[in-house]
Amino acid sequence: MKRGGARLATLFALLAAALALGALATPAAAQKRGGTLTIVRPTDPVSLDPHYETTAPGAWVYSNILESLIAIDEKLALHPKLATSWDVISPTRVRFKLRPGVRFHDGTPFDAAAVKFTLDRALKGTPPGRWASLAGPLAGAEVVDDLTVDVVTSEPFGPILRSLALVYAGIVSPTAVVKAGPDFSRAPVGTGPFKFVEWKTNTHVILERFADYWGDKAPLDRVVFRVLPEEGARMIALQTGDADMVLFPSPIQLAALRRDPKFAVHEATGLRVVFVGMHAKQPPLDDVRVRSALLHAVDLKAILANILEGAALPARGVLAPGVFGFKDMRLDQLYPFDRGRAKALLAQAGWNPGPDGVMQKGGQRLTLTWLAARGRYPKDGEITEAVQAMLRDVGVEAKVEWREWASAFTQFRGDPLSFHLFTLGWVTSSTDADSSLYPLFHSRQLPPGGWNTSRYANARVDTLVEQARRSLNQGERERLYGEAQDLLAKEMVWIPIYNTMEIVATRASVKGFGVHPVEYFLPLGKVWLDR
Amino acid sequence: MAGSLTFALRRLLLAVPVLLGVVFIVMLTLELVPGDAVAMMLGEHATKEAVDRLREHLGLDKPLLVRYAQYVGQLARGDLGRSIIQNRPVVDELADTWPATLELTVAALLIAALVGVPAGVVSAVRPNSSFDALARLGSLFGLSMPIFWTGLVLIVLFSLWLPWLPVGGRGSLAHLVLPAVALALPSIAMLARLTRSSVLEVLHEDYVRTARAKGLQELAVVVKHGLRNALLPIVTLVGIQAGQLMGGAVLTETVFAWPGLGRLMVKAIFARDYVLLQGAVLVFALAFVLVNLLVDLSYGLLDPRISRQG
Amino acid sequence: MSADAARRFGRNRLALLGLALVAGLVLVAAAAPLLAPQDPVKQSLFEKRARPDAKHLLGADEFGRDILSRVIYGTRVALLVGTLAAAIAVVAGGALGCVAGFAGGWLDATIMRGIEILLAFPYLLLAIAIVSALGPGVVNTTIAVGVWGTPTVARMVRASVLALKETEYVRAARALGAGGPALVLRHILPNVLPTLCVYATLFMANAVLVEAALSFLGLGVQPPTPSWGLMVSTGRDVLLVAPHVATMPGLAIVVSVLGFNLLGDGLRDALDPRLRGA
Repeated sequence: MKRGGARLATLFALLAAALALGALATPAAAQKRGGTLTIVRPTDPVSLDPHYETTAPGAWVYSNILESLIAIDEKLALHPKLATSWDVISPTRVRFKLRPGVRFHDGTPFDAAAVKFTLDRALKGTPPGRWASLAGPLAGAEVVDDLTVDVVTSEPFGPILRSLALVYAGIVSPTAVVKAGPDFSRAPVGTGPFKFVEWKTNTHVILERFADYWGDKAPLDRVVFRVLPEEGARMIALQTGDADMVLFPSPIQLAALRRDPKFAVHEATGLRVVFVGMHAKQPPLDDVRVRSALLHAVDLKAILANILEGAALPARGVLAPGVFGFKDMRLDQLYPFDRGRAKALLAQAGWNPGPDGVMQKGGQRLTLTWLAARGRYPKDGEITEAVQAMLRDVGVEAKVEWREWASAFTQFRGDPLSFHLFTLGWVTSSTDADSSLYPLFHSRQLPPGGWNTSRYANARVDTLVEQARRSLNQGERERLYGEAQDLLAKEMVWIPIYNTMEIVATRASVKGFGVHPVEYFLPLGKVWLDR
Repeated sequence: MAGSLTFALRRLLLAVPVLLGVVFIVMLTLELVPGDAVAMMLGEHATKEAVDRLREHLGLDKPLLVRYAQYVGQLARGDLGRSIIQNRPVVDELADTWPATLELTVAALLIAALVGVPAGVVSAVRPNSSFDALARLGSLFGLSMPIFWTGLVLIVLFSLWLPWLPVGGRGSLAHLVLPAVALALPSIAMLARLTRSSVLEVLHEDYVRTARAKGLQELAVVVKHGLRNALLPIVTLVGIQAGQLMGGAVLTETVFAWPGLGRLMVKAIFARDYVLLQGAVLVFALAFVLVNLLVDLSYGLLDPRISRQG
Repeated sequence: MSADAARRFGRNRLALLGLALVAGLVLVAAAAPLLAPQDPVKQSLFEKRARPDAKHLLGADEFGRDILSRVIYGTRVALLVGTLAAAIAVVAGGALGCVAGFAGGWLDATIMRGIEILLAFPYLLLAIAIVSALGPGVVNTTIAVGVWGTPTVARMVRASVLALKETEYVRAARALGAGGPALVLRHILPNVLPTLCVYATLFMANAVLVEAALSFLGLGVQPPTPSWGLMVSTGRDVLLVAPHVATMPGLAIVVSVLGFNLLGDGLRDALDPRLRGA
């Protein structure tokens, strides 16, 4: 009987184990195919062709229709996409092996000729693509054979791979471009998991699953992009079910949405830094002590907590975390919020409180002029007002001149710039430090040629950024950028405020969605609806 | 009738210099105001060479007068040019948006006229009554609430709390209700008040008193004698409202995501896309001239004593 | 304003209410530094959007600034923009309309075409142009709003003048030999005035709203100067969670609109010589 009992016990144990394993193996919910995903966002695209449209509204759509050779995932690492492997043959030449058996939505085959066509069109076309400037010294492509292509640069270019992973570098169907002519903007053809169906201006854009996609077919049948400029209206659409996904949701309602099981909030650290820039050549800001004083005067925690309310992260430097070459500049330790220190620094520079509290030096008041626009970046107007008040608390009087974006942009691009301060943002669209540090801080990148609005000039930083740009050794590049950021930290010409967070609010039935740190990508290929 | 026809033709002919004048002023203003369409389009990462190259490609580096002459020449051939930012013929852009604006404007005007004018008439006939007081108070509220506020409140009421109507966009008749009502509210108020004031004035004219003294019914008096003359300023206001609603419904179009001409114009202004803006302004101006013409023609119908002007 | 008209005004209770409201607004504007409990521009971020309580009687805005104090100081901007813009529109528009309506012929045609061009011109662009040329700020906003109202007033006045020109007593006056300017001043203007008054008061409300739109676009009053319009515009983003931020200044707008309108109606009723017993 004992042996029988033991056998029975073992049987039970095995059964239990089998059941347990069985329970683990069963997925929580089976992925469902089908359905239409409705997305609402603030603006309509200008064009669905990366050649003409480099802003997010267009990119959100065409990033699902077109694919590039290399993909950037949510961790900002590079992966093969339309290219299966690559080799650096020489400092100015990278050879790509292309994925076989891939077709465009119009049935034509994807091959090296299509890659060459796309790059030639963008770089040498008339007119060249809107993103050509971002590509730096990228010169074009050469066909080696049907499935092998060489990408050539005019000089060694470190960020070459990330440039090819840009959302704008999606490969287009040459046949379609030639056939459609200018109408290609309204009906792009690529290799992506979704194909274009219809675009009614200012109303909707419709995409449909591409049944012959080379990878995992998209679970969704259709995607509809709708336009709702008012934030309040977008949130209401989400509540009523008119929309499944909201881009640019209202930051204040996020807390309630997170608590509500009917909705889900997806977030990822973005790549844009919004900052208050200082004109380093305009007295009194040419004195690094005055600039440091301004940094100490700003209570970043209060701004982040009360104005951005969890919809953004404190800026960790002039770059966003995740960007290749990022270094945490530890600004909270270098420039902590300390009014006393701010005033002490100003005193060191010769500024002392006048009768009404505003600092004075030799009979002159410490008055700074400030150029700002409202609504270009989230809460930019509110931040300007808040920092203005904080500066006043340490005796710095800031006079803000508000302009609408077009006028402000013209001034930012202009030379000379007569303002001391300006509110601006910068996104590292290529995910490589080069596309930020070079145009922003190289001493020869003054507007209108470059974007060194602060007129920062440091010969060592110049050398570092130039070297890093030309090196193809990624380890060496990282080191160089680190040193450059260390130098910048000591003589800051920015007051970095926040790092964007890419936040998308959806109904809980939307599954398989992950927000991409690069704000231009809206990956829908794995999204499915649980209903 | 022949007189009306020549009048109309003359006015339409006069409209041509008006339209050309508007186009020139728009072009001139965009030239003087800071902001460059191409630079903004290419954004922060563009190099100066890229911006200059594109400007040259689009012909934007030519002097103002040359561009104006080119534009007028194209216009004569019916070509409204290509939008700088959209790279699409302006005609297509307008064709997409103009019907939406027309639909919204007509709906709002109808609501305003059908509610405002009768309310004003009743107020004038029964001045200082409780209806009059209520109507005047209602008018005041209708006038003082900002449209983006009333719009959002309407959406909350009728799309969220009472899920009767859609949140925004254009599609069915249901989509038209909220934006048309929101847009009409200030007009209802204005029309009611103006009607009341005009009718009141007219009601005390001697010839009206004479009619009353003759024993005619109050209503007949009002309708026959009073309303016809009171209609003059009312019709003028309707004409003005029509003009304003067409181009000025920007805020309403934004709140309700209505894909109309107003939003298109704002987009063009902020992007400094003068080609697109001129096209939109031309449509707007043309509609305006036509409405004015209709209003002026109606003066003749309403009060034959008025000699033809212009 | 004759003694007769003044008496008529005095007997109209609603008109007196309007006068009281407007006088009250003027008083609040003048005595703002004495009346406002707190500094209207002092920020206190952690008190953002505070509900009305003992410390903030009307609550706090998105920067923690006291709404009551901002509404009180905002009266200054509202009165300035409202009355000055209305004055510009009424004087310029009234003059143009009178001349056009009375003169007729090519002068009328020219003026009317000019008005049409102005009306056909996108207002937003006009505002941007004015601000670019003159710079932003309260006074320039007022000019922009005044220019906005001029064409409408001109057309209204022209229509009234056209109608009045043909009335018997104007014809009679002409027959008696009354000349151009005298005719306009003595016979036509007093009869145009009531409509003008009504329209002027309607316009003042509109002026505040137009200023709101301009301020929101960054073309109007510059923050941190409190402007009711800007407060309502920015408060609409938080309408669902903190309605008091937009509603309180909104109520201020309603009260002032009410006051101006009642006053205007009262004036019109008093001045109109034919409106006895109304």
